[in-house]
Amino acid sequence: MFRTLLILAFAATSAFAETANSFDNIVRIENAAAVPDYSSPWNPPRPSGGSGTGFLIGENQFLTNAHVVSNASRVLIKKVNDPQPYAARVKFIAHDCDLAMLELVDFTPFKGIEYLEIGDLPQLDTSVTVVGYPIGGERISVTRGIVSRIDFRPYSHSGVDNHLTIQIDAAINPGNSGGPVLQDGRVVGVAFQGYSGNVAQNVGYMIPTPVIDRFVKDVEDGRYDLYVDINAATFELVNPAAREALAIPKEYDGLGVMVGSVDSQGSAGGVLEIGDVLVSIDSNPIASNGFISLNGEQVNMNEIVERKFAGDSVSLDLLRAGEKQTVSLPLKPFAPYLIAANQYGKRPQYIVYAGLTFQPLDRNLLAAQSLGNQTVRYWFNYFVIEELYQKRPEPVIFTRALADEINTYIAGYSGGLVDSVNGQKIGSMKDMRDALAAAETAEGEFITIRLVNEGRPLVIAKSKVAEANARIARNYGIREPYYIAE
Amino acid sequence: MRPLILLAAISFLTGISTAEDLPKKNPEIAPITAKIETSKKAAETSPKNSVLRVNVTSQRYNFRLPWQKTSPNSKRTFGALVAGNRVLVTADVVADATYLEIEKPTSGEKITAKVEGVDYEANLALVAPAVPAEDFFDGLTPMSLDTEAAIGAPLEVWHFESNGNPLTTKLTLDNYDMGTYFLSGSYFLTYEASGTISYRDGSYTFPVAKNGKLAGILIDYSSSNELSTIMPASIIEHFLTDLASPPYRGFPNFGIRYSNTLDSQLRSFVEMGDTTGGIFISGVIPGASAAKAGIEEGDVITNIAGHDIDSRGNYEDPTYGTLSISHLVKGSVFAGDTIPVSLLRKGKEMEFEVNLIRKEPSDYLVRPYSFDRAPRYYLLGGMLFQELSQDYLESYGDKWRSRAPFKLVYAAANQEQFEKEGRKKLVFVSGTLPTQSTLGYETLSGTIVDKVNGKSIGSLDDLDAAVAAPPENGIHRIEFSEFPHQLFISEDAANKDEAEVLTQRFRIEKLKQLN
Repeated sequence: MFRTLLILAFAATSAFAETANSFDNIVRIENAAAVPDYSSPWNPPRPSGGSGTGFLIGENQFLTNAHVVSNASRVLIKKVNDPQPYAARVKFIAHDCDLAMLELVDFTPFKGIEYLEIGDLPQLDTSVTVVGYPIGGERISVTRGIVSRIDFRPYSHSGVDNHLTIQIDAAINPGNSGGPVLQDGRVVGVAFQGYSGNVAQNVGYMIPTPVIDRFVKDVEDGRYDLYVDINAATFELVNPAAREALAIPKEYDGLGVMVGSVDSQGSAGGVLEIGDVLVSIDSNPIASNGFISLNGEQVNMNEIVERKFAGDSVSLDLLRAGEKQTVSLPLKPFAPYLIAANQYGKRPQYIVYAGLTFQPLDRNLLAAQSLGNQTVRYWFNYFVIEELYQKRPEPVIFTRALADEINTYIAGYSGGLVDSVNGQKIGSMKDMRDALAAAETAEGEFITIRLVNEGRPLVIAKSKVAEANARIARNYGIREPYYIAE
Repeated sequence: MRPLILLAAISFLTGISTAEDLPKKNPEIAPITAKIETSKKAAETSPKNSVLRVNVTSQRYNFRLPWQKTSPNSKRTFGALVAGNRVLVTADVVADATYLEIEKPTSGEKITAKVEGVDYEANLALVAPAVPAEDFFDGLTPMSLDTEAAIGAPLEVWHFESNGNPLTTKLTLDNYDMGTYFLSGSYFLTYEASGTISYRDGSYTFPVAKNGKLAGILIDYSSSNELSTIMPASIIEHFLTDLASPPYRGFPNFGIRYSNTLDSQLRSFVEMGDTTGGIFISGVIPGASAAKAGIEEGDVITNIAGHDIDSRGNYEDPTYGTLSISHLVKGSVFAGDTIPVSLLRKGKEMEFEVNLIRKEPSDYLVRPYSFDRAPRYYLLGGMLFQELSQDYLESYGDKWRSRAPFKLVYAAANQEQFEKEGRKKLVFVSGTLPTQSTLGYETLSGTIVDKVNGKSIGSLDDLDAAVAAPPENGIHRIEFSEFPHQLFISEDAANKDEAEVLTQRFRIEKLKQLN
């Protein structure tokens, strides 16, 4: 759906700098990346690269987008009027809100340069200036526009997160990513994504200050934690019959949304119920379309939770069977939804056994290999909705067979979800590795792998495995039989 | 040529059977098999004596707006005249027909016609004059069948130019194969033939002759490699024989999924010893022939009806050579027949008598196809409830697998899972017409219904009953298997919308179709 959203980093070209007048605190960032190969997961990463913009916000603290420095192997920072690249490293990276903080190995060259200050949420129809190093030239670029819209939007870097976003009409282009959007000399946003010109005109997006502030505050303790969520979905309550059936008193006219689903393992699990009517959040009345009024802006009620951290609580007023109750929900991270998020900077997990390659089901795998199997698609799409994670926290997929005499008749079954190995149910990569190891030493001649919704077992004669593994490792250049993140 | 129609396989060999609502068999049909024997005396053999044109106007239901039909379209095809002044055509031509006529290609003379018998699975239909019209057929010679065609045999496509001149185009029979005729779940014997057909005059299919007799019907032609697919006379004979002695029984469904046993590791695992052939049963379809006879997943079938099965699922047919077992359990037998099956279960030899039955389209959780009948639906306020059907999924176009609501696509591929929940049909909300009673529910689409007013919904009939009883406080409660889990519709507001908006504004004649 948001395929057309462009991320605004671009591939690097050679740079020659000339003297410029200011913007010393706005830097060009060059990232030599090492991109993991989810299609041949035993392979070393593939070299790649790109560049973006960043800016200095404190003592050796450069802010940029996460996507500018994802999968980084070497990060260089260049000053506006200085040809010398300075070695930098990623200190914190938050893929769920597309922000990262960098530091220089040696901050000396930037000593004395003024830090950019983070401002407030800008008003609609006020003018902003975008500064950065986009395509179209080598030197710093400045464009200007106005704040067009303030809305809750998807962040395409992770692919699953929605946060407050500001749309501006200043030209922002590949290379602007991570650069500051300024108003009255203060940062009001970080330019990060846009549409290609053949989809929408003059639509660029920046990460607004509430999201930036949250990130900066989150990392104060030396590490970045994920966003937290209520983990319940709500349905708008504009239908009179629904309001009557849910016994909503007249005094709540125009207010309230119905809880339509609850993740039992999430923050609201065990507290909220289907059919509860949420009428206020931290004392902000919730309109029947799910919006609240915050500092004069109509925003999605989630914005309240957005600004909180793991361990914080949110207070909800709700009507259950017409009776008002107040609940306080402690907010906690909820990992299962990450199956659908793009992952970066991680080494792909895999097992190669008798030439059969096993990998965990996640978005990176699906992006690298087209898996048409309906069962696998179901597990991916309904992993959170039907709480399939309770059964298999890390679904294991038989992704492909490296052709060999031991697997020639079972290669055709690749693409399926592993159910069990010799009767042992498989819920994770670790289960898979352990079950294969256990099967090798157990009684019996065979290792039997069963796939979900497939009646034909994959049968491997134990007597042939050791020899086949050695042969396959040699022929296909597989240095390690598996990699599993512990 | 036959347009490419994508219909999902329920599974291999599951099969799909003929429409349950065939026109009532006409008891007047003469015993056609008998006439096939006697018509050998016919002397002159030429398209102009035995090939007629059949013109069909048809109208499909709109499966997204099931109370209406799509725009009518017309097709024409060449059919073979068979005994009893009937014209044999393919079923896909007459599907959803609203008007039919038989035309003499030589003179252009036409008479109104009707479908007398149809089998969508085998893709065959018999067309008869709507009223007796003996004169029309004067001077024409019915074709008899030739079911034996050896590889290399010369075949002739019989057709006409638009000016009425007969044409015979020569083809050579290259190969026997198994393929689908029309519905993708049904595998049948086909002839593969080569030769150039340069003139086709907009016809769907063509009779194929051999020595003046009907050897088959050409159902597909690829102009790029000049290969033709022909439905053989043996299947036509099966259809005509069956039709001649009502009730029509049709082609059975064996109902297994299988894999080959080439893998020596699998062979040892299932204790096949030193046997050579056999197929591994990787699944049985509940309610179909194999399951009813007691065949189970994990069995290895080694012999069917006296024929040894090789490790790839083929047998040696006395007429056609190496052929898939599909032909043994479908193409060459009738529903109601019993055949012996030998198998190995955990290394032990066992014998089964399998009574071959046919699963009707209505026996499936997700109806595999429907022609000549209105889709079932139920409108409540503006909320449209339907029973999931293959036709509904395919209303999303060629890419329905990725475009239709995923849960519905998944359900169609895993029907057993939903049948276990006690559902006979899968009832879902396919959409919502904007009315007062459905205000705020417009985004709902493809959501599976679990309960209405506290009653489990296993079909639209259940829904009808659940809505008929007065709901608590005058509000219907609809429960779903996923977000938003429940919605409410006021009975009074729905009645008002039905009377004013649905009936008046949208001019929907029937608010429910449960036939």
